[in-house]
Amino acid sequence: MFWVISLIVFPLISGLILLGVRNDFARGIIVKIASAIICLSSVRLLTMHFPRESVFFPAEFIFAGRLMLFFELMMACYIVYKGIKHKRFLTVALASLQTLALVAFEIMFKGKVRADNNLFIDKLSIIMALVIGVIGSLICVYSVGYMRDFHEDYRKEVKDRRRSFNFLQFAFLSAMFGIIFSNNLIWLYFFWEITTVCSFVLIAYKGTEEANNNAFRALELNLLGGLAFVLGIIYLYFSSGFIELDKVVAIGKAGALLPIVLLSFAGLIKSAQLPFSPWLVGAMVAPTPVSALLHSSTMVKAGVYLVLRLAVVLQGTLCGFMIAFIGGTTFLVASFVAISVSDAKKVLAYSTIANLGLIVLCAGIGTYEAVWAGILLIIFHAVAKCLLFLCVGVIEHKVHSRNIEDMSGLIVTMPKISIMMQIGMAGMFLAPFGMLISKWAVLKALVDYNPLLAIFVVFGSSATLFFWVKWMGKLITVTNPSERKENKIAWNQWFPLFALSSLTIIICGFFPLVSQVLIEPYVKEVYGQAVTMSRGNLVIMAIMLAMVMLFPLSFINYGKKVKVVDAYLGGANAYNSTQFYGALGRVRDMEMKNYYLEKYFGERRLIKFGSVLCVISIAIMLAILI
Amino acid sequence: MAYLKRSPWLIHYDASSCNGCDIEVLACLTPLYDVERLGVINTGNPKHADIFLVTGSVNEQNKEVVQNIYTQMPDPKVVVAVGICATSGGIFSECYNVLGGVDKVIPVDVYVPGCAARPESIIDGVITSLQVLENKYKKLREMSAGVEKVTISLSNIKEVQDILALQKLAYQSEAEIYNDYSLAPLTQTLEELKDDFGKKIFLKAVMNRQIVGSVRAYFKDDSCYISRLVVNPLYQNLGIGRKLLDRIERYFPAAKRYEVFTWHDSKRNIYFYKKNGYKMFKREKLTESRDNVFLERINKKVK
Amino acid sequence: MKVLILILAYLFLAPLVGGLLSGIDRKISARMQGRIGPPLLQPFYDILKLMEKETLVVRRSQNFYILFFLIFMIFTGCLFFTGGDILLVIFALTLAGIFFILAAYKASSPYSFLGAQRELLQSMSYEPIVIFSAIGMYMVTKSFYVFEIISFKTPLVYYLPGLLFCFIFILPMKLRKSPFDLAASLHAHQELVSGITTEFSGKALAMIEVAHWYENVLVMGFIYLFFAATPVIAIGMTLAIYFLVVLIDNTFARVKWQTALKSCWITAIVAGMGNIIFLFFMAR
Repeated sequence: MFWVISLIVFPLISGLILLGVRNDFARGIIVKIASAIICLSSVRLLTMHFPRESVFFPAEFIFAGRLMLFFELMMACYIVYKGIKHKRFLTVALASLQTLALVAFEIMFKGKVRADNNLFIDKLSIIMALVIGVIGSLICVYSVGYMRDFHEDYRKEVKDRRRSFNFLQFAFLSAMFGIIFSNNLIWLYFFWEITTVCSFVLIAYKGTEEANNNAFRALELNLLGGLAFVLGIIYLYFSSGFIELDKVVAIGKAGALLPIVLLSFAGLIKSAQLPFSPWLVGAMVAPTPVSALLHSSTMVKAGVYLVLRLAVVLQGTLCGFMIAFIGGTTFLVASFVAISVSDAKKVLAYSTIANLGLIVLCAGIGTYEAVWAGILLIIFHAVAKCLLFLCVGVIEHKVHSRNIEDMSGLIVTMPKISIMMQIGMAGMFLAPFGMLISKWAVLKALVDYNPLLAIFVVFGSSATLFFWVKWMGKLITVTNPSERKENKIAWNQWFPLFALSSLTIIICGFFPLVSQVLIEPYVKEVYGQAVTMSRGNLVIMAIMLAMVMLFPLSFINYGKKVKVVDAYLGGANAYNSTQFYGALGRVRDMEMKNYYLEKYFGERRLIKFGSVLCVISIAIMLAILI
Repeated sequence: MAYLKRSPWLIHYDASSCNGCDIEVLACLTPLYDVERLGVINTGNPKHADIFLVTGSVNEQNKEVVQNIYTQMPDPKVVVAVGICATSGGIFSECYNVLGGVDKVIPVDVYVPGCAARPESIIDGVITSLQVLENKYKKLREMSAGVEKVTISLSNIKEVQDILALQKLAYQSEAEIYNDYSLAPLTQTLEELKDDFGKKIFLKAVMNRQIVGSVRAYFKDDSCYISRLVVNPLYQNLGIGRKLLDRIERYFPAAKRYEVFTWHDSKRNIYFYKKNGYKMFKREKLTESRDNVFLERINKKVK
Repeated sequence: MKVLILILAYLFLAPLVGGLLSGIDRKISARMQGRIGPPLLQPFYDILKLMEKETLVVRRSQNFYILFFLIFMIFTGCLFFTGGDILLVIFALTLAGIFFILAAYKASSPYSFLGAQRELLQSMSYEPIVIFSAIGMYMVTKSFYVFEIISFKTPLVYYLPGLLFCFIFILPMKLRKSPFDLAASLHAHQELVSGITTEFSGKALAMIEVAHWYENVLVMGFIYLFFAATPVIAIGMTLAIYFLVVLIDNTFARVKWQTALKSCWITAIVAGMGNIIFLFFMAR
């Protein structure tokens, strides 16, 4: 139990220390040490617990409840204060409603509301702990170097609030650990709200009007989720008399479905499913480490984590089907929209939303195959997406643009970053990398359950193929070779990038091991059945991976016997491959721009369409239950 | 072996023709004449083509286009001039902008006169060119196999024009690396080169009576400064560069060290020198985007 | 041991069969147009001639992608013909196709760039149907493995007529024929100069052609799966469908990419998904 508590508390303490340290260099060192400790602790947790079954801890702290209530009130006051200051009254209303409901609940049942076990560890918690611990700490290390560059670029516009930035990052890590180890739903809710507030403050870091607006939008939607959460807890206690997660799962379908749906609803909002996706897209205005940490690898995973936990209860119900439908629609629509977007971070945001939709689809179906696929997706997506965000952050600083069209020729100007981006992108959709294995598993899970949902997966994955390959191609197209821009990237940014690239490849190569050690035991525990992949297929995928890894070797033989000529420009080349003689003999430049197909995959139309579908599903769900 | 003959792919370009010959060329593709039974395909892409069919007398506006397309065809390739305009300018040969036939711009292998040339003649011309194609292929094979036929000797001032042309040709690849076409070797004038002839020793590499490589060097204060080692791009990777370097070093046996220089991003050059025993010892800035890199080899044979 | 024999057979026989198919296609097309046409072995002469030509590149590394395209295409074909998991075959095929597309991007020339984009659009158009076909086959035979699909007692076409129709619909796209030959131009149908193959010459072009032959054999094998229970009829039907595609090639003009994308997806949803839903409710 020591490790669990320490994982929850230690990042918070580090954060508080960082709040006090003024010197930037010293802060950097502290961040690195703290991150290393967190990372190693997560791994230690794995080695300590993995052979064992789930463990539950009473963790009765006498003042824990009161302390949490106090902090919740503090956070609510802060939100209300900020809401009034910026005249966002919806925020104020939601925050007040939420807190009032919780306070009323606590006062009414003073003393009687308690959980047998407040904390627990099982295989899924360990997986999530690894994701948070390893990837989260890598991002914190990266953000040291990134924020230095960031403040150099934005010296005049943005106030240097790096102390609170670092504090919030670590507080957030604490909260995430809290979420995954909490069995008591009120504790879970507390940590959930902390992540909401952290997200709010971090999105508004830049202090511009756009940042503030987006931060409030994120806050409003997440508060709505929080409200649903509280209502879910209250109803749960009223109907079944407990507030523990494991009891909810154990009771299964015998218990009331409404609290489950409300909790899932909160999870859906946190994971930016349609129609609540705009908050995540808007959150891209934050600095890149924030986008990586909160909005792709960790916080949004909390939402799908919750739905996955409840998946076994949702299995076979109409509500489960509706949730799967929402997830599938989100996956489809977000993948389509990503085709038409050219801002790199927006593409990554939509891709994140799409993948979360896929995980929700798995959770909604709830069979053992689907849950297995969902957990695989979480792992692979966290690693690959984080890598991509960090690379985009570096590119943004060197190229001064976030537009994909400006990343042409990156393989010559920033070869290492380019290759890492390609590894990340390959990890997102290509065989034999991770996400493909997950998609394969999803398809197999779907055909047994309900092939109708396969429409979402199939069309969505065709769309993902399009926009990832488009981007990959843009990186390697070289028209005007320019000088290298890679020289001045700090070591504390290189290290996480290298680590994540290697991790992507290693996890993909060793995924059978990961599956066997971590995922299958969890699935077996919950469902009594386990999924196995045939050995033949594993061998074939290993061969494919080995062959793809051979590809970089081909660059050693640098094409000695080939002759380089200009590209074919209709014979009208002037000097080189990028200029030609146009009309009236003038020299014109050749430009190559990707297809964005805005007319067919335009953002507004599609999001509206998808949102309508999802709202209808939610309405159906609630109508059935109420 | 005989496959070039069986699968001739051609690219057809209209260099200011009246379109009479072009229509006849297209007629060859119709069922009446059906050149596809000979394996002929009309591709629009020079990189896929073996035969370059040109119609029309070339004028000022499209002479570079003709040259460009010709350069972008892979070897072995042949050019067939179709119609009297392509052969000699035809009835337009006196016009002020007409150059007077394709052979003023690129080497032509087969001439098909006629106005308009009939499809039968065109097909006959293409078949004739196939044999030329085969011969060229054989010669290419011989050339790449017979590097021993390269001779290296002292160059004299009468060959200064050839050396200058070779220099400009060979430094194109360097210009591409730095995206700078005003590099010193590319802008050196004939006078400057003649001047150089007086101060330095020039060696030339000759193959089939063509100068395909050159190098120059001078001796000063115990060191031999070697520069402008160039080999015609078509003849690279055959060991000619190495032979030139070797010979010029042997011209200065008394030198304690040999020094060369190149630019910082010319990886192949640096690799070439390192392979031949040179080590980098100095790097200094030349311009904003280029640094000079100096390499030297200590002559161990001198006491 | 059997696996090794199958792999070797595919490795050496598939280019021969593919080349012959291509030769038959050109001969039949010529006859349909009232011409004599090239000899049957013409595609082999073409390849051998290409090997004799110089290789020109715009960027030095562009031909490595082509090499990997070829290698992965052979790998995919071997996987299919040794009875592997059909979903894995589809994904490996996508991987091979991506190497080809990236090669064209690498060539950094406007025509090859456009060709690459259009090839991507093609991939996006036909992928749903291919996966639906695999799902349909699973629903009937309860297995994703090719060797089990082949040994199913009834011809799959009885259960999967809609999916067969869809597959024939996208067959021109996979065989790079009109009306869906958006990305490259084979021979006389020029599209954006040579589209995706514009900047490749010599050995690289030969590799692309051979890889396409491997792919064609794989795709025709897929068609064979629909009739696999009766081998003789299956081979006959496969050749008949190939002839049908040649006929369509000579009758239709190339369509715009918007039409291609829309029509493929609508067919996928209506005929493909319809077939699957029908099967789902029959199974209930």
